[in-house]
Amino acid sequence: MSFLTRASCLAKNAILSTFVRSISTTNQLRLKQIHEYKEGSTLIVEATSVPSPNTELLVRAEKIKDLTPAEKPEHTCYMCALDLDVKHTDVLILSQFVRSDGCMLPRRITGLCRRQQKKIGKMVSMAQKAGLMINLTPSYCKKDPKQRYAYKKFNTYFDEKTIFMRNIPKPVDRFKR
Amino acid sequence: MSAAKRVQQWATFARTWHIFDCKWQDPYQSAHVIKKYLMGMHKPIYHPMNDCGDVVLCINSREVALRGDDWRQRAYFHHTGYPGGATWTLAWEVHNKDPTMIIKKAVYRALKGNLQRRHTMQRLLIYPGEEVPEDIMQNVTNQIRQFRPVPTRLDHIPEDEVKQFPKVMEYPEDYVLK
Ligand SMILES: [Zn+2]
Repeated sequence: MSFLTRASCLAKNAILSTFVRSISTTNQLRLKQIHEYKEGSTLIVEATSVPSPNTELLVRAEKIKDLTPAEKPEHTCYMCALDLDVKHTDVLILSQFVRSDGCMLPRRITGLCRRQQKKIGKMVSMAQKAGLMINLTPSYCKKDPKQRYAYKKFNTYFDEKTIFMRNIPKPVDRFKR
Repeated sequence: MSAAKRVQQWATFARTWHIFDCKWQDPYQSAHVIKKYLMGMHKPIYHPMNDCGDVVLCINSREVALRGDDWRQRAYFHHTGYPGGATWTLAWEVHNKDPTMIIKKAVYRALKGNLQRRHTMQRLLIYPGEEVPEDIMQNVTNQIRQFRPVPTRLDHIPEDEVKQFPKVMEYPEDYVLK
C-alpha cells in the first residue's frame, strides 16, 4: 500500500516537480493544509495552518465605538451585537454562512446563538428558493432558476416576519388560566 | 381665456400614459398602486363620475414575484356555466399559460365591481416582456415607482466585490473549507 502511494507520489512529482501533494482542487482555501515530504525512505505527513480569507475584512461590534454597549449583557453573539437588519436578499452576508454547495454551516462553526442560527438558516433557504445564490448550489444544479421544475421557475419573494411567526399566538387563541 | 390657461386646461384633462415595471413586484400589492392611476385617483380633479383615468403600461409581467409558496397555494377559479364546469387552476399553471393573466386578474379584483370596471380595465396594457410596440411606447411620459427593490443575484455581483465585502463570520482554527 505504502509502495503504491509512493509510486503515485513519485509519478505526480515527476509531472508537477513539487513535494506538495494536493488533496483537492481548493487547496488554497484550507485553513489546515496537508503537506507530505519524503526524506530518503521515510514519508513525513504534516498539517500546517493557513490564514483565513475573512480575517482582514472582519467586522465586529467591539471595534465599532457607537455599537459598544455600556454594560455588558450576558448574551452576546456577534450577530446580535452587530444588530444588523439582514434580509433574505442580502446575499453578500448570507453567502458567508454557507458551504460551496449552498448548505448552511452548523452552529459549532458559525458560532451564532440559537435564535440567530435559526434566523440566518431560514433566510439562506429563502435566498436559495428565490434563486439568489444559484452559484452556491450542488454540482448537479443547472445554475439557472428559470430551468427549475414547475412552480419553482417563477420569481418568489419572502417576508422575514414569517420566520418566527409560529411562536406568536393568534388573537383568537385561548389559554388555560 | 388666456393661452396659458387654455394649455393648463388641456393638460388637466389629457390622458397621461404611465409605465410600470413588474419585475420582482408582488402583483397584488402593485395592483392597488396601478388602480389609482387607472381611475385617476392621484389627480386633484378626481370624481367617480369624472372620466379622468390614465393609461398604465405594465411591462415584464412574466417576472412578477409571488410571496412565499403562493405559486402553488393560490388557485384561480373558473366556471364554464355547465354542471361540473368548475375548475381550479393554480397560480403557476395560469402563469405558464398566460404570463399577463396574474397581473390582469389582480388589477381587476382591486377595482370596485361597478359598470366602470370593464372600461377602466381597457386602459391597462400588459406586456410579458420588455418589448413594447413603438407607437405605444412613444406616448409614455411617466414611470410609476416600484413597490419592492429588485434583488441582485450573487452570481451577477463581480467576484472581487464579493471578496472585498466586509465579513461577519470567522472560521474556527481547524476548519477545512469545502
Ligand atoms: Zn445572538
